[in-house]
Amino acid sequence: MTDKKEKVIQGLVIALITIAVGTVLIMMSNANPAEAYANFFKGIFGNLNGFCEVFVKATPLIFTGLGCAVAFRTGFFNIGAEGQFYVGALTASMVALNIQGAAGIVLALAAGFLAGGVWALIAAVFKAKLGISEIIVTIMLNYIAINLVGIAVRTFLMDPAGSVPQSAKFDSSVWLPQLLPPTRLHAGFILALVSVAVVWFLLEKTTVGYEIKVVGFNKRAAACNGISVMKNIVISAFLSGGLAGMAGVVEVLAIQKKLLEGISSNCGYTAVLIALMAGNHPVGVIVASVAMAAMQVGANTMQRQLGVPSAIVDILIGLVVLLILAKGLIRRKKVKNA
Amino acid sequence: MLEQILTISFFTAFFSAMVRMAVPLLYAGLGEVFAEKAGILNIGMEGVMLSGAFFSFVGAMFSGNLWVGLLFGILGGVIVSMIHAFLSIHLAQNQSVIGLAINTFVLGITSFFAKIIKEGQSYQQLKTFSTIKIPVLSDIPLIGNALFNQDIFTYLLYILVILMTVFYAKTALGLSFEAIGEHPRAADAAGIPVHKYQYIAMLVNGILGGIGGAYLVLVQLGVFSENMTSGRGYIALAAVILGRYTPVGTAGAALIFGGANALQIRLQAVGVPLPAQALAMLPYIITLIALLGSIGRSNEPESLSKPYIRGSR
Repeated sequence: MTDKKEKVIQGLVIALITIAVGTVLIMMSNANPAEAYANFFKGIFGNLNGFCEVFVKATPLIFTGLGCAVAFRTGFFNIGAEGQFYVGALTASMVALNIQGAAGIVLALAAGFLAGGVWALIAAVFKAKLGISEIIVTIMLNYIAINLVGIAVRTFLMDPAGSVPQSAKFDSSVWLPQLLPPTRLHAGFILALVSVAVVWFLLEKTTVGYEIKVVGFNKRAAACNGISVMKNIVISAFLSGGLAGMAGVVEVLAIQKKLLEGISSNCGYTAVLIALMAGNHPVGVIVASVAMAAMQVGANTMQRQLGVPSAIVDILIGLVVLLILAKGLIRRKKVKNA
Repeated sequence: MLEQILTISFFTAFFSAMVRMAVPLLYAGLGEVFAEKAGILNIGMEGVMLSGAFFSFVGAMFSGNLWVGLLFGILGGVIVSMIHAFLSIHLAQNQSVIGLAINTFVLGITSFFAKIIKEGQSYQQLKTFSTIKIPVLSDIPLIGNALFNQDIFTYLLYILVILMTVFYAKTALGLSFEAIGEHPRAADAAGIPVHKYQYIAMLVNGILGGIGGAYLVLVQLGVFSENMTSGRGYIALAAVILGRYTPVGTAGAALIFGGANALQIRLQAVGVPLPAQALAMLPYIITLIALLGSIGRSNEPESLSKPYIRGSR
């Protein structure tokens, strides 16, 4: 059996199992599956607002997913997109509260990218210099970043006029422009697509990208051919963290328009799963992110109309990834039969 | 304000809270020590605990018996750790991805069914396991109440830490379990069944993680709420590193982390205006600094999170 055919079969099996489980879950929450699926698709395609919301929700996933994909290419296992998102949001807010106009937007994007990159770099230094696993270090940096935001919105960034833990609203001159008002679709989505194009070009068409991939494939071979393993891990870590930081910048400048807690909706962890589904390919990241965002939008409609808990999305996302990990089983059976 | 803090009663209450906060972390931490020494990094510990918490609640609610709840909690933890074991050992997949997928999956499942069970019925709080006061010892000033006026799970931990320490330091079996995390190929050559032992280690991981989660429901809160572990599984991972992969060290780390949590609650109670987040991030900062201090003599098992495939190079 050819490789391609095998992949198609695996994909179909995974899709069928996921739909079956989804249907059972819908029935367990006392809803009619046909009606639920109708609502699911109506939520996504029923009106312009819902349709644009898919791309709004996909935007932070594309940034963070792309970041993870870049890091995984060198074998740097960055689980820190969540923390990099928050330091990006934090620094962008500090800029946006002080500098107005286009300069504010540009500086906020630059500061957020830099902060996210540096946050990932800490873990890269631990790995490259001290040989300590980046997995654990990035997880701990996540919690430090989340708590830093918590401290900021209660102390030096707290809105002086309010009593809730959040910053003052940014001046409207630093909001990212909306593309299709009244929908929430904003310029950040375009920025995400541009980032994907840039990263694709970098990985596929430049020496830097080539070296990054070689290091990911075989560290020993890379070192023997004069490619610095440490340098490439540092580059990909910085780029990866910077992209995740951009997700945070875009979220505060375009959606929240102020800094508050819990705004990532766990996209930093979802990003790891997206990178896996996308096979670490930049274009695949767009597809996986949009698909995942569409599931969220559709499930929200199911929850509103029929009371199916929207946690169903987490179940199905987790299930899809576990099935992808287990897909070797499908192949093994075929081999035995042959 | 200071005279309000520097009192015997403040410290007595603080130590008690510290131990109570540390217990679930230590159960999960010891489970993680078992897995990591055998070469398997279970980032899905958060999911193991959450599953343990959820199923213990379901079991206790429907049976009306806390011990049945405990059994369900253990089973809930084991099911999750076995999914991890199958994918990481049998199929040699990336352990970080497995762990994160498990956490997402379990968060979804438990939130989904918690909502469904809740629907249409009032959600009564369970009776919780009561404390057992040990005479004489519990009268020791300052720490007596904290250490010897606790529930059965706390006392079991004292025994467990000692047993595990002896197991790894003094028994051949313990050495085998450590060897498969350091050099699985050599262990295999020496006749140790690597994969079988890894499955056993993950079984223990699920049992202890499940108890850690169940403790939150059956001892502390008496009720399940969405995402109630709120990152304790990740703190347990940090405790293992800070504890240098030893049972006693992990216990010390769990106490430090529990102490940070307890201090935050006590300080809030006396009205010290320190953001809770400052103390909440302390465990992670301490662990990172400790990692910096261990340069050149990392205790990490050599083959941690590297799948062992027989016959490959």
